[in-house]
Amino acid sequence: MRIVMVVCLAAFGVAHAQNKPAEPTPPPSWHQGKPPALQESTLHPFAPNLTGRQASELPVQRLKVPAGFKVEVWAEGIPEARSLAVGDKGTVFVSNRLSKNVYAVVDRGGKREVKTLLKGLDAPNGIAFSKGTLYVAERGRITRYDGIENRLDQPGEGKVVIDNLDPNRAPGHFWKFLAMGPDGKLYFNIGAPGNIVMPNYTQASIMRVDPASGVLETVALGVRNSVGMDWNPKSKELWFTNHGRDWLGDDSPNDTLHRVATKTVPNFGYPFCHQGDIIDPEFGKGRSCKEFAKPALKLGAHIAPLGMRFYNGKMFPAEYQGNIFIAMHGSWNRTTKQGYNVSRVVLDEKGAVKKYEPFLTGFLMDEKADPPMWGRPVDLAVMKDGAMLVSDDYNGILYRISHGK
Amino acid sequence: MWHSASAAAAVVALFICSGAAQAADIEAGRAKAQTCAACHGNEGHSTNPAVPSLAGQPAQALATQLFQFREGNRKNDQMSPMAANLSNAEMNDLAAYFASLKPAPATHRTAPQNASAGPALAKKFNCVQCHGPRLEGQQQMPRIAGQHYDYLLAQLRLFKAGRRADMDGNMTSAAQQLSDTDIEVLVDYIAGLGPQ
Repeated sequence: MRIVMVVCLAAFGVAHAQNKPAEPTPPPSWHQGKPPALQESTLHPFAPNLTGRQASELPVQRLKVPAGFKVEVWAEGIPEARSLAVGDKGTVFVSNRLSKNVYAVVDRGGKREVKTLLKGLDAPNGIAFSKGTLYVAERGRITRYDGIENRLDQPGEGKVVIDNLDPNRAPGHFWKFLAMGPDGKLYFNIGAPGNIVMPNYTQASIMRVDPASGVLETVALGVRNSVGMDWNPKSKELWFTNHGRDWLGDDSPNDTLHRVATKTVPNFGYPFCHQGDIIDPEFGKGRSCKEFAKPALKLGAHIAPLGMRFYNGKMFPAEYQGNIFIAMHGSWNRTTKQGYNVSRVVLDEKGAVKKYEPFLTGFLMDEKADPPMWGRPVDLAVMKDGAMLVSDDYNGILYRISHGK
Repeated sequence: MWHSASAAAAVVALFICSGAAQAADIEAGRAKAQTCAACHGNEGHSTNPAVPSLAGQPAQALATQLFQFREGNRKNDQMSPMAANLSNAEMNDLAAYFASLKPAPATHRTAPQNASAGPALAKKFNCVQCHGPRLEGQQQMPRIAGQHYDYLLAQLRLFKAGRRADMDGNMTSAAQQLSDTDIEVLVDYIAGLGPQ
């Protein structure tokens, strides 16, 4: 009896499939999740000027930092400058996302020389430097370039640390951020393959891989897309930034800052719950935000937090020690734009958030204009002397923030 | 180590940053654009239906495509070698020049039924959200209004087939939703839109 039923169902299924029109294809990933009321919204993502723009044609004099600090253009002509990593000898490595290169910037007596270090890579957004080695996270793999600062003109081929991270070339957030943890493991994101979609078991996560053994582990789940992470130098706890979904309105949900304070793998809620307390109108049905770990701080809706670093350098005043700095790439999915700055988060003695305020501002020109900004911060790096570098992918420029003198 | 190696740096495009770098220069672009006219026509008004008109395109859209050709992301037998040796500054100059020109008048005649069906399709498939309400382009999104029918048709088919480079896969995914008929209706409509 049971067998017959299965056969009947199978036969029905085939006949049905033949008469059915083709499955509708999913909408473009940025547009996906848009409610009917916003179908005609003209909000759209902004793209970088891939050929770069010169600082001389930009209003860099509008950039503002607190009293005692100074901001200046440090290097330019680095197309789509994204993630930053600083070598032991002071080489500044710069990645990009839409191109295929990794650049090395070398300071030669006050002039910066920009070399195209690596070519032909697949969305090499993630870079990390540790113990002489440059690690590069491409769309689907992580490679290592040992002794890189001695081989800036002949870097050779990278050795594969891990491969096959994106076997289906998933759409959406395919680029990776990469950071070396205090445990000697490489941490990276695997983003959600769209604005608001059900991820598979590796997606919407933070993972780590041991470069010695190749063993891959899950660090956090329910993370829509993290493009910045670092460790509190005091507690060794992992902190990371996360981008909330689009098309839930100008003020919802917040993008978030997270602290991983547990030994177990936390789930921060995507796609069911956003910012720890907003249930998703579609995926949240039958779920509760109580099931999920909460963010440490709500940063603002669509503000797009990218690179984040704990400041541990010797140049900034004492009150800046141990602060988190976050590069806000800036909102597109909001009628009144916000972000486009570097913000500062001050922690208390227990490592909880005490204060959140802008630190570097001036990129935002007109919050109602399209585009509203002339530059977009992506990542931060602390240089050997304690100054802070800020990358701007919209123009291909690095800015340097210093204090004193 | 790198002191001795710098002279032999054949691997790399190498340049020194200086404060004297120039902004995009329309006149320098005009001089370099003489080569482009053979295919793209005088003043960026192409008469070859397979070759796009460049006049009045947003500068960022033009520079983006030159970059994509040079980097090998977008491939074309004529354009790939043309872009291969252009610097970023030269691309910005060329882009500034073509952006400064008056768009070509539309030469295509849209079939009446497509003229009425086109606007709704352009909204439904998100063309207007990025290319602008009149499809005249903005930022990295090109002006498609009044572009050659043959060129638009070929590009949309390439996007649908996943064979045309784009920004973050946006056009590739947008084109996945289009049926072959949708493509023909949209292209017939868009190619006939004149500058306003």
